[in-house]
Amino acid sequence: MKILGKFRTILAVLGIIYILIPLVVVVPASFTSANYPSFPPKGFSLQWYTMILERSEFIEAFYNSLQFAFLAAFFAVLFGTLGALAIAKYDIPGKNYITSILTAPLSVPQLVLGIALLIYFTPMMLAGTSTGFLIAHTIICIPYVIRLVLTGLSGFDYNLEKAAAILGANPLIVFWKVTLPLIRPAMISGGLFAFLTSFDNVTISLFMISPDMRTLPIEIFSTMQDAYNPIVASVSSVVIFISVILIVVLEKIHGVGKVFGGTQH
Amino acid sequence: MEPIRHYADQEVSEQVKVEPQKKTKVRKRRSWIAGLLLLVPILLFIFGFFVVPMLYILYLSFISTDKLNGTDAVYSLQNYITLFTDSYYLSSMWLTVKISLYSVLVSLILGYPIALTMAKSSPKVRGYITLLIASPLLVSIVVRNFGWYLLLLPNGTINQVLMNLGLINKPLNLLFSELGVVIGLSNAYLPFMVLAIVTSLYNIDPSLEKAGAILGASPLRSFFSITLPLSLPGIVSGCVLVFSLSMSAYVTPSLMGGANVPMMPVVVYDQINNLLKWTFGSALSYVLLIITLLSVFVFTRAFEKSKFREVFR
Repeated sequence: MKILGKFRTILAVLGIIYILIPLVVVVPASFTSANYPSFPPKGFSLQWYTMILERSEFIEAFYNSLQFAFLAAFFAVLFGTLGALAIAKYDIPGKNYITSILTAPLSVPQLVLGIALLIYFTPMMLAGTSTGFLIAHTIICIPYVIRLVLTGLSGFDYNLEKAAAILGANPLIVFWKVTLPLIRPAMISGGLFAFLTSFDNVTISLFMISPDMRTLPIEIFSTMQDAYNPIVASVSSVVIFISVILIVVLEKIHGVGKVFGGTQH
Repeated sequence: MEPIRHYADQEVSEQVKVEPQKKTKVRKRRSWIAGLLLLVPILLFIFGFFVVPMLYILYLSFISTDKLNGTDAVYSLQNYITLFTDSYYLSSMWLTVKISLYSVLVSLILGYPIALTMAKSSPKVRGYITLLIASPLLVSIVVRNFGWYLLLLPNGTINQVLMNLGLINKPLNLLFSELGVVIGLSNAYLPFMVLAIVTSLYNIDPSLEKAGAILGASPLRSFFSITLPLSLPGIVSGCVLVFSLSMSAYVTPSLMGGANVPMMPVVVYDQINNLLKWTFGSALSYVLLIITLLSVFVFTRAFEKSKFREVFR
């Protein structure tokens, strides 16, 4: 029994290392003083971080990524929360079908959705515009927000709303003072999750970008395709730092595992 | 006491039967409309920018000319016929299925022990493991692929170590090969496999294993006759999930395989973005979509109909 248990633990540790290793090697490699990235790094220098500042395309792409991710998360939370409230609270016929349609963008491969949107946007003059980009990102973020807020509403005590109404609060005040504070954690984690989904996205962005409007993961992607440059290591490290911070916040509010626990494509 | 109260209730409700029912009906209908109003923005959004575009490329896939200016659109099945007769596309489809199956296999072998360890450990440890394996999903796939570059390149870490140990004298071709893509995909989707399996492991009644032990089963025996069969639903959903995600992944095959490993998504991307063959590309993407959805459906159905289903009902 003990030997078996140990064997299992060793295999599990190997598996976890396999999951983490590509991320673990990137950060040290970014501090190399050589002209090529390697792990373990050769020497120590911050030259690849100062290089980021010299190459304005990365700064611009980073700024774009932040902006789009913030807006996509905002719209996904806005539409998603309203939708989830409607589904959870009201007796709408065909509720289950509506929920399936709203979460369907998750089950369609992003590549296919990207193609569909590119072809659809072109005659509408939305292809390669920031509006088109934002719409595409909002579409892929909505299913996550719907799921998280619906989960948040599943334990919701509607008597609290009734009590507030009986005490004389009008529906707007009931929503603002009772409903909203209770679903706020779900909305925040939905928003953070949407932000990260949009910030890190490559596949759908590939169809939505234009030469003068690119995001950070896209910039990394094309740099990797062209040349094996150590700057990718430093930019990637920055992405990792940002993700780690947001993951810690997300974990504190909601639990990262729970977010994916309900994610069945 | 009970029946009397019941009677009284009935009497009261019969007296005021007509009016309140009408009222509640009206109220219900009104709230239903309020609910629909909340749904309008998101429904318009999803219909306008998801449902309609998906239907539009389905329509385009039946047009055989690439002149989309309206007048000379010829409707036919030509795109689909080309897809299923041209050996290039057929071999690309086969390659995609093969690599996806490998990535399922690798993630199952590496994922099961992790899930099992999670199921057997304390909630606290379980929480840490969940955080460790799920967090990488929130870091861009490009960054994770770059990590593999560092490890797998001809002068990368793994080749260096193997050469220093004297196991090989020439760098192995790890990157830009099928192996590289399998590593990239299985690494990216392994967490989904673990989370799917662990859910079904949590549902196993611990007393079953105890009962097995009391009846004299060795730990190995109890694993193969109790734990493994009972975790099959999780294994199946994990495999289906990893398979469908691998089938339609674009970034990893294009970065880790490149032109050497022309999987379907890479071919589709090329048709759309470089060759601008939109109608043919639409047909290709629908084939990709249908293969993915169909495999999920068939696999899940086959499992449901098998004898294992009785175990869980």
